Amino acid sequence: MNLPSEELKAIRVAARWYARLNSGITTDADRADWRAWLAADPLHSQAWQRMAAVAEQMASVPGSLASPTLSDTHQRSRRQVLRSALLLTSAGGLGWLGWRSQATQNLFCDYRTAVGERREFQLADGSTLTLNTDTSINIRFDGQQRRLELLRGEVLVTTAVDPLRRPFKVVTGPAEVLALGTRFIVRSQARGGEVAVLEKAVEVSLPATGARRRVEAGQRLDFNERSLGALRGNDVSVGAWQKGSIIAIDRPLAALLDELSRYRPGVLRWDPAIGDLQVSGVFPVDNTDLALAALESGFSLRVTRYSRFWVQVAGGDRR
Amino acid sequence: MPANDLSLRSAVDVLYSDHHSWLQGWLRKRLGNTFDAADLTQDTFVRVIKARTALDIREPRPYLSMIAKGLLIDLFRRRSLEQSYLEALAAMPQEQHPSLEEQAILLQALMEIDRLLLGLGPRVRQAFILSQFDGLTYPQIAERLGVSVRTVNNHMAKAMEHCCLMQIQLQLS
Repeated sequence: MNLPSEELKAIRVAARWYARLNSGITTDADRADWRAWLAADPLHSQAWQRMAAVAEQMASVPGSLASPTLSDTHQRSRRQVLRSALLLTSAGGLGWLGWRSQATQNLFCDYRTAVGERREFQLADGSTLTLNTDTSINIRFDGQQRRLELLRGEVLVTTAVDPLRRPFKVVTGPAEVLALGTRFIVRSQARGGEVAVLEKAVEVSLPATGARRRVEAGQRLDFNERSLGALRGNDVSVGAWQKGSIIAIDRPLAALLDELSRYRPGVLRWDPAIGDLQVSGVFPVDNTDLALAALESGFSLRVTRYSRFWVQVAGGDRR
Repeated sequence: MPANDLSLRSAVDVLYSDHHSWLQGWLRKRLGNTFDAADLTQDTFVRVIKARTALDIREPRPYLSMIAKGLLIDLFRRRSLEQSYLEALAAMPQEQHPSLEEQAILLQALMEIDRLLLGLGPRVRQAFILSQFDGLTYPQIAERLGVSVRTVNNHMAKAMEHCCLMQIQLQLS
């Protein structure tokens, strides 16, 4: 095999990380160290993807059947077969559909994007996810449910029909979003979030309060820890990030800059005096410098770059 | 067709006509069954054609039997896996049995996983299976195998690395 030695090394280290994180006795500190390692080099995340591919292959079969079948056939005796059979019956309570693998329970399908990155993933059941900038997601699929945990950021979900008919649920902060055969966007924000439905419908609920509401295609709803907001209509700006833009229609400048800053690393500051200025336009998220330049010329603002990572927006000289 | 391909082809033809019946007889002795022997003979020549080595073969019979031996081992391994699979299935309550279609997919998936695990030491393999498929934690595996948790951890890392490299290799081939 002709893999470069750095790649082989990354695979070896990734395998050690896998072993450590899969022990069943992982600490938060381990996970933090792992994240740092993962972020340190693209080769690391590539090697990690390979681990995920192995884990996915292992997860493609029910463990209760794989274990006795794969236990080394050269060494097996009748007694071992019997013991495996006993193990099977004791684990049998879960039923055929109840198989789960360690891999899917752990952080394996932990998908993430960096600031400014946008990526599409296909899940094992055929559903697709488009992760917007700075987004982290955990996938927990098992025999009973397809559960996606949105830890931060924003995701567009297109669910596939599941032959096992498991419900598809997105959990973020205080809310649960149950897909009713559908395409929708969930965004996580400090203390809450927003759900926008593009096709069919979802049901949003707050398990802590018991509140629930159905959101149909073309509608959106925000929520916080205490309550669900009112239903509002979607406009063209909803989900525009998929195509790489932010669409603003008479939007306060502060909100637009807030939005833009999600897509750029570093600090974006603005003078509060200009925060209420109403702006409209289409701004590219893949090149936020261009977006700032458009604001600068279109709305007579002054953009000062102290460094690549520190940008200040202020009012220009008005005539 | 380039001249090289022509001579390669005639070399395969000669190899086939000179050694085909001998190889089939050799395989029949080991398999005790004419049908399987005919299949594996065919597979052996397919390997030779794919490898494009027919022109370089100095000792045809040892070469052919070496390839056939590899295929025999694959076949035995497949059968033994299938046997273990059926035993595992028989131990499951009837109502939990997957459909026949699901079973075919499952068996294929199990064979592919088995190929990834090929070459792992028995202890490493067992630790890996207990973790991946039985869902045991490392302390539980350590207790069952009578080794330290650290050893289990090392086994797991080794197994993952091995499977990953095997997976890459199989994807390339």
